[in-house]
Amino acid sequence: MKFSEEKLKKVNEIIARYPDGKQKSALIPILHIAQEENNGWLDVTTMDHVAIMLNILPIEVYEVATFYSMFNLKPVGKHVFEVCRTGPCMLNGSDDIIQYIKDKLGINEGETTSDGLFTLKPAECLGACGYAPMMQLGKHYREHLTKEKVDLIIDECRRNAAKNN
Amino acid sequence: MKITINNNIFEAQENDTVLDVARRNDIYIPTLCYHVKTGQTAKCRACVVDVEGMRGMQTSCNLKVRDGMNVHTDTKEVQEAQKMVVDLMLASGYHNCLACERSGTCELQDACYHLGIEKSTYKDAPTGRKDESSEFIVIDFDKCIKCGRCVNICNNRVVNEVLGFGYRGKETEIMCDDDVAMGLSTCVQCGECVQICPTGALTDKKSRGKGRDAQFEKVDTTCPYCGTGCQLTLHVDKAKNKVVRVTGRDEWPNNGMLCVKGRYGFEFHASPKRLQYPLIKKNGKHEQATWDEALDLITEKIKTTVGKYGPDVFSALGSGRITNENNYAIQKFTRAVVKTNNIDHCARTCHAPTVAGLAHAFGSGAATNSVDEILETDLIFVIGSNMTEAHPVVSYYVKQAVKNGSRMIVCDPRRVDIAHWANLYVPLKVGTDVPFLNGLINEIIQNNWHNEAFMKNNTENPEDLKEWIKEYPVEKASEICGVPVEQMKQVAKLLGTAEKVSVIYCLGITEHTTGTDNVKTIANLQMVLGHLGKRGCGVNPLRGQNNVQGACDMGALPNVYHNYISVKDEKTKEKIEKHWGVSGLSLKEGYKLPTMLHKATTGDTKILFCVGDNTVQTEPNMAKTIQEVKALEFLVVIDIFENATTDFADVILPDVCFNEDFGTYSNLDRRVHLLRKAVNPPGEAKPTWWIMNELGKRLGVDLKFTSAEATWEDMRATGTIMGGITYERIQHKGLQWPCPTVTHPGTPILHTNGKFTRGKGLFSHTQYRSQAEMPDKEYPFVLSTGRRLWHYHTGTQTRNSIGLENIFPEELLEISPVDAARMHIKSGDMVKATSRRGEITVKAWVTERSPEGVVWCTFHFREAHANILTNDAYDNVTETPEYKACAIRIEKVSEGVETVSRGFRQARP
Repeated sequence: MKFSEEKLKKVNEIIARYPDGKQKSALIPILHIAQEENNGWLDVTTMDHVAIMLNILPIEVYEVATFYSMFNLKPVGKHVFEVCRTGPCMLNGSDDIIQYIKDKLGINEGETTSDGLFTLKPAECLGACGYAPMMQLGKHYREHLTKEKVDLIIDECRRNAAKNN
Repeated sequence: MKITINNNIFEAQENDTVLDVARRNDIYIPTLCYHVKTGQTAKCRACVVDVEGMRGMQTSCNLKVRDGMNVHTDTKEVQEAQKMVVDLMLASGYHNCLACERSGTCELQDACYHLGIEKSTYKDAPTGRKDESSEFIVIDFDKCIKCGRCVNICNNRVVNEVLGFGYRGKETEIMCDDDVAMGLSTCVQCGECVQICPTGALTDKKSRGKGRDAQFEKVDTTCPYCGTGCQLTLHVDKAKNKVVRVTGRDEWPNNGMLCVKGRYGFEFHASPKRLQYPLIKKNGKHEQATWDEALDLITEKIKTTVGKYGPDVFSALGSGRITNENNYAIQKFTRAVVKTNNIDHCARTCHAPTVAGLAHAFGSGAATNSVDEILETDLIFVIGSNMTEAHPVVSYYVKQAVKNGSRMIVCDPRRVDIAHWANLYVPLKVGTDVPFLNGLINEIIQNNWHNEAFMKNNTENPEDLKEWIKEYPVEKASEICGVPVEQMKQVAKLLGTAEKVSVIYCLGITEHTTGTDNVKTIANLQMVLGHLGKRGCGVNPLRGQNNVQGACDMGALPNVYHNYISVKDEKTKEKIEKHWGVSGLSLKEGYKLPTMLHKATTGDTKILFCVGDNTVQTEPNMAKTIQEVKALEFLVVIDIFENATTDFADVILPDVCFNEDFGTYSNLDRRVHLLRKAVNPPGEAKPTWWIMNELGKRLGVDLKFTSAEATWEDMRATGTIMGGITYERIQHKGLQWPCPTVTHPGTPILHTNGKFTRGKGLFSHTQYRSQAEMPDKEYPFVLSTGRRLWHYHTGTQTRNSIGLENIFPEELLEISPVDAARMHIKSGDMVKATSRRGEITVKAWVTERSPEGVVWCTFHFREAHANILTNDAYDNVTETPEYKACAIRIEKVSEGVETVSRGFRQARP
């Protein structure tokens, strides 16, 4: 595990925000960066590396990484569908959306398609109840989801992947 | 101050919590997360009470008392609140006591009992999840109440840093490392988490189904493994005459903590392989005999041989494994009955240079300070000690100290695990301790970091040192020991500027041909720095065996009687003769162990008594040792198991082991601890003092050994430094010698106020001498040897206990990744290691612990034994062999499968 130069600069910037001996405070933002750098998930080597950077125990990193659902502890696909399933979204049909994605991609919750493109990861409230049902894809929200919209999103992702290849 | 609890007024101290006062006065408040060792967490909220004038319920475990406080623990509201907490806890998992190991000692069960909870009001949610992957510990996740005691103790007290809380909410659970099965994690199975767990979530696998706690008798005693002298409680099934469980006692030096061997390596005592009857060799085979036959034969042999050739053809070996009483018995027998001083023991192979070196410099050859003081030191200087494996409980204190802000320097050619916690790890070349330390001393004096006043007032020859140390400028030292100049300067500065320095060393210092010089140089360093005679300072050798300190104290040495009384002094001789009721004690110093053996081949040693000493496997160059043992006319071995040495014995006598008789051990900080009888010995096994007494009788001397205590009392009558230690005084807590009178409180720190036992401290001029056998073209590797966490010595105890062998079943030769890559060796491949003295075939383990050019293995396994290879070159003062360095070559024999090597820290980049 190694941070790119640009990211390392950012990491050091974050660490420097905290007084000596309190570097542990920088853990969550750094784990986010580490996850980005490591194909969207945290493996043990990455977490150990962060522990060393912050001079804390590896177990302290594992505790935080397992606590927050935003950190993935298993490899994930290129596109992670974080579909909200909390109250308002559920009332607006998130169950159906989740089921539709499952059927269409042939995966269960928490699983990744064999081509490594998609991961389905139900999420708790993402604070966008007015646009229910919704999901987070990368850094963007996709709102008022319908089956047709899901089809479009999937096609879009596939097209992007093909283009990048 | 005074506080009121339930309308009664109680005395309270500043800093007391409400819980403290309640407990002192027998008022029950349920506590689940709070434990005196892990401190206040106020997490479980079972301990809530009502305090007048404060809003809501207060957690009593972290509520400091105030004068006039008025507390209620028994109102309906409080009881309901406590009940609710415990009720919810029951619902968080599946708490059914029917088949639970912890039933009877469970704190959750106690809380329910006191609060009158028959069953949970809520629905149980059993998951049935258990982790049974580890050898000794079972985790039952359904019984975990998430109190966090185990997490705290694992990270802050034993500092193994394995357990943590993972996930969140309802899914929160205890996890090992990154949530792997305990058996695959870095857990070293010390079992401290089991001891602290309030429920049945963490239990010992071994005692599962063996019985309820209440049916076992608890016997307090001392651990039979390393020299730390941990206090433990044996849980004994009297009907089966077996130990079922072991727990640590909350007493110095271990404060409840134990290691994997101490806690789980106990079944050897009940092994069917134990020696049970005397055996006499007839026609090349050992045949069962009666005690009378065996003792008569020995008597006859001693009478005729000694009668014909004189007493010096008799030699005896005591042991660092047996009790003080038994060591005293064998030395008294040798001296008072046979009338020779040819008595020695295995300290010759380990810490004899410590005894000689420190006695020379300070006047007393033992650790100067106590284990617990490590927590108060400023800088810990560890050199030549693999303490996380060889002295795990000492390492807990060291790690705790570092965690609390002490700094640590670790110097060792191998990257031993303790280096993981060090501020500075210094890899020096094997066998270059003298130039390394001299370079540091030089640098310290150059920079004026030395303690001029201490040197001037409390040492004899400071000016000499200042003169000759100039021969070791740091640049020259650096060249010899391979440590960069900058790093040496850094070490010197840390040492020179620290407030308190405690030097801890072990066999990496002593087991060299320069062993005594190495020790003397360490003494020089501490005298230069003036860190002696104060708390948290000193020179602290970690004695290797449970009673190797005691064997020295008891005079199982060729030059001194018990309590280091010289054999050459006419006056003391008379005094001892008078007390022992004999005459003609020898004034001549006896043979040291290697000499005894060597003289067998020239016919000058004819009879050898080995008590608890597996000589064949523990001496270097096994082929030579076997020749020597074979050359003996008559070999008597007193031991608990058959071993490589009993093969050659003419008579084998069965000894008792640590829990089959009373006795005492002296630990590494000079503390004398009591051992208690817990079970009956197997067959006709007898203690050594009984055997010696019987032989004495047959040879016409009454040795007065009627019991272990009588033997101790006989020692005490002429004992100087231990004269004040009686069994009665050490029933609960050990006493540290010197303790000359029965009212003396014992001596935790030697040489206080700069007054050394010998008067003024003595600097010794030490010179660099290279190891006896340097690597060359033909034998390019340096082989160093040592001990592993999971095993102990020649394996007689650990390999006859259940489980340890499963974790570490065979010897591994540790080799550096660089050498391995060059030779196309990978972990698991079989390699042949050859020295000028022999060869072994052993599995390789490629690890960064080994530096380039150095390989390492142990002497635990008879199948691939380091001592077939080791060099019989000796320290010129003490005849301690150079186990830490010999030259070998390595060839790959075949491909193989890697053995899982667990419990080791990966080196941090």
